Amino acid sequence: MTEQLAVDAVGVTKSFGSLRAVDDITVQVAPGEVYGVLGPNGAGKTTFLRMLFGLIRPDAGTIRVFGRTWEKDGINVLDGVAGFIESPKFYPYLTGRQNLEGLALLDGGDRADRLAEVLEVVDLTDRAGDKVSGYSYGMRQRLGVAASLLRDPRLLVLDEPANGLDPAGIRDMRALVKRLAGSGLTVLLSSHHMDEVEEICDNVTIMRTGSVAFHGTIEKLRTMAPDPGYALSTGDDVRAREVAGRHPSVAVTTDPDAELVVTGPRDDVAAYVADLVRSGIRLDGFIATRTPLESLFFMLTDAESSVEGAA
Amino acid sequence: MSRVGVGAALRWEVRKLRAQLRARAVLVAAVLAPIPVVFILHGQSRPPKDTLFGRFALENGFALALLVLGFASQWVLPLLTAIVAGDVFASEDQHGTWKTVLTRSTSRGQLFWAKTITACGFAAIVLLLLTASTIVSSLLVVGHQPLTGLSGQTIPAATALKLVTASWATMLPPMLGFTCLALLLSVWSRNPAIGIAAPVVIAMVMQLLGSLGGIDAVRPLLLSTPFEAWHGLLAAPHFTGPLTQGALVCAAWGAVSLLGAYLVLRRRDITGG
Amino acid sequence: MRRILTALVAALVVIGALTAVAVARGGDNSTVTRARLERALPVAFSNLYVKQAHVEGRHDITPKSLHAKAMCDKHGPDVADVGPGGDWVCLMSWKDPQVPMPPEGYGKFELNVHSNDCFTAGGPTKLTGYLEMTAADGRTVTNPVFEFDGCFDPTGDNTPTGNSFPSLLSVTSTTLTPKQDGTVDLGLGCGTGAEGCAGTVTATAGHTSLGTVPYDMKEEATASLPFPTAVPRGTKEVTFTVHPTRGVASSSPSVLPVTFG
Ligand SMILES: Nc1ncnc2c1ncn2[C@@H]1O[C@H](COP(=O)(O)OP(=O)(O)OP(=O)(O)O)[C@@H](O)[C@H]1O
Ligand SMILES: [Mg+2]
Repeated sequence: MTEQLAVDAVGVTKSFGSLRAVDDITVQVAPGEVYGVLGPNGAGKTTFLRMLFGLIRPDAGTIRVFGRTWEKDGINVLDGVAGFIESPKFYPYLTGRQNLEGLALLDGGDRADRLAEVLEVVDLTDRAGDKVSGYSYGMRQRLGVAASLLRDPRLLVLDEPANGLDPAGIRDMRALVKRLAGSGLTVLLSSHHMDEVEEICDNVTIMRTGSVAFHGTIEKLRTMAPDPGYALSTGDDVRAREVAGRHPSVAVTTDPDAELVVTGPRDDVAAYVADLVRSGIRLDGFIATRTPLESLFFMLTDAESSVEGAA
Repeated sequence: MSRVGVGAALRWEVRKLRAQLRARAVLVAAVLAPIPVVFILHGQSRPPKDTLFGRFALENGFALALLVLGFASQWVLPLLTAIVAGDVFASEDQHGTWKTVLTRSTSRGQLFWAKTITACGFAAIVLLLLTASTIVSSLLVVGHQPLTGLSGQTIPAATALKLVTASWATMLPPMLGFTCLALLLSVWSRNPAIGIAAPVVIAMVMQLLGSLGGIDAVRPLLLSTPFEAWHGLLAAPHFTGPLTQGALVCAAWGAVSLLGAYLVLRRRDITGG
Repeated sequence: MRRILTALVAALVVIGALTAVAVARGGDNSTVTRARLERALPVAFSNLYVKQAHVEGRHDITPKSLHAKAMCDKHGPDVADVGPGGDWVCLMSWKDPQVPMPPEGYGKFELNVHSNDCFTAGGPTKLTGYLEMTAADGRTVTNPVFEFDGCFDPTGDNTPTGNSFPSLLSVTSTTLTPKQDGTVDLGLGCGTGAEGCAGTVTATAGHTSLGTVPYDMKEEATASLPFPTAVPRGTKEVTFTVHPTRGVASSSPSVLPVTFG
């Protein structure tokens, strides 16, 4: 018998009126995996995760969580599952601790010790006695993580957890997710940011307007990534272009600002730059513009472009 | 993770309610508001004759308690219950917390019943406090003389106390009916303001419809009519037909409202929050 | 916003539908009926009348001994005796050894009957007294029967009581003014009652007979009765004697002063 998938969503479709928010997507997450769902605004990530949580009903397709379905198992589907959708929301007239106590009741337990632990994990112990109405955005986000951890989940579902956080907050959140993933937790994460997914995830599904534009491992994604691009400023652009003629694998183009842009395999670009220096051309700047994965992300999710081998 | 029953959800709802200023204010008002009302009515130079028992209200505490009852049943009782029932579902929309509570181990059905029981229990407590406060302050301020009933009969004070208390108790079925209506409006409108205001407006419109002549066929079906069924208790011989019919009407309104609310909540997509 | 509008529209539709159903089914199935009032009013009245007697220090009557009986009517003969309104009239008779009934045998009560099966009744002050009365101990107290409330069982006995009282014919004119030809008209009013008023009126001015004229009126109607013979000039007053064949009238003749224009 094969290992049971943590999430096994097949052919899931959801329309809002005439808009297909999620169009026949399939996402399979193995236990212990850290899985990213990546897509620009409006791609359908949140809609998909809401269906996973049973908040909205798919029009078609089946969603299994650890083998359970909403039709058969009802709320039991969420046994061992925790997380939040978009920014977590709490009762503003209650304190952070009271909110967590209430949610613990809904989980079926009053777990004072665990509550203190999770507050400590997200660094909210000092403010747990304050009303949530006085919390900052980042504090609510952290309270959301605490509320999820309170369930001792096997599967953690996070919808853009770093959204709206400051750089330090983003760093801490990513570190936390990595640490949780390291402890064997299955994580399903949605994000706008390729670097976040690249840093944290093993597998990724890239969505574009409701459908899957890429599906596979980060490694596979890397091999598909285009050559890196560099902005080049020289003392003599005309001669720099001439030198490029001697390097057929390197392309030198001009961007809208009339700056030179060099693309090509890393080694060949290095050889070309060395050649420029040898030719006595003054080199004023040489900056990587986009990471290859970022370029790929934009290529995959721009409506017009399509990529060989995607999906 | 253990299965969770309605009980845990109920405890959570009660805890939230106790933390809400509005709910506490209603309870305090139910205890305190009758006192100045009783004093003001008692201080009138002419009795308010156009309401039942008004003509004895200045000289008889039981009559005053029944006068207040007639007044309260017009829209005060629907308002008091709607303040919680009209808000209990819609506030989850207002705070965006549906997704928070529905991603735990409690099903929509369990939350539905927990909220319904909370709202109904609150209605019963408010009625109890209002009843006790009105009767006690009326008797203390005006006195407990024998009461003239609705067949002209003289009712001794001990019996009158029982009948007045029973009359107040008969407010419970229509109050629960309005609670269920407010729950439906709360689920459906997703807006606390509508959940609270609409039942009051509906109560007043029903009251108006019920007082019109010529549409007598509808009158027994209105949810406001059972608010007047207590009259039979103070007649001699007393009659309870309207009470029984009123209880059935309230049960029907309540059942239809709750069924509607349940279906709406079960089917809806939680897209907000 | 759309939800709010839908809610409002739905509420209006429900209310409209209910009203439409009501209008379609008509107002005839009101629980406010003549028979129920005729049963409820005497009960409430008797209890309160005895209470009034007790306040006066009398203990010679009981609610039973009064044998109160009522006949009720809504808005004259042409309107069905059913449904709430301020236009109910009930004629009631009772036996109080110290307060005899007037010749017609009943007193007239005006009722405002509400749709909630309760009523407010105002009694005939000649028989039941005014708003305030003097108690046996000399205090001024509210008269319990001047105006009183009562309620009846909307599912109570609705078979006709069979109670019936004759209409009372009264002379409504207070003076007479002869017309050009010297004749006079007499104003008559027929009160609430079982079958209206009929009979004859004979008029005499001194020794001159002005004629005998028949009348036939429905209950709660007024009429103007012309007499054929001219009133002799100089006549001071005219005497009218009523001989009812249906309904009742005062047995003593009415004497009205004449003013020549
Ligand atoms: N309740 C709704 N009614 C109508 N359309 C909706 C609703 N919810 C989502 N949509 C539409 O569905 C599409 C997918 O939305 P969704 O929120 O799933 O995107 P997302 O990938 O989470 O975007 P973001 O990165 O901005 O969070 C969008 O076009 C959105 O406008
Ligand atoms: Mg989203």
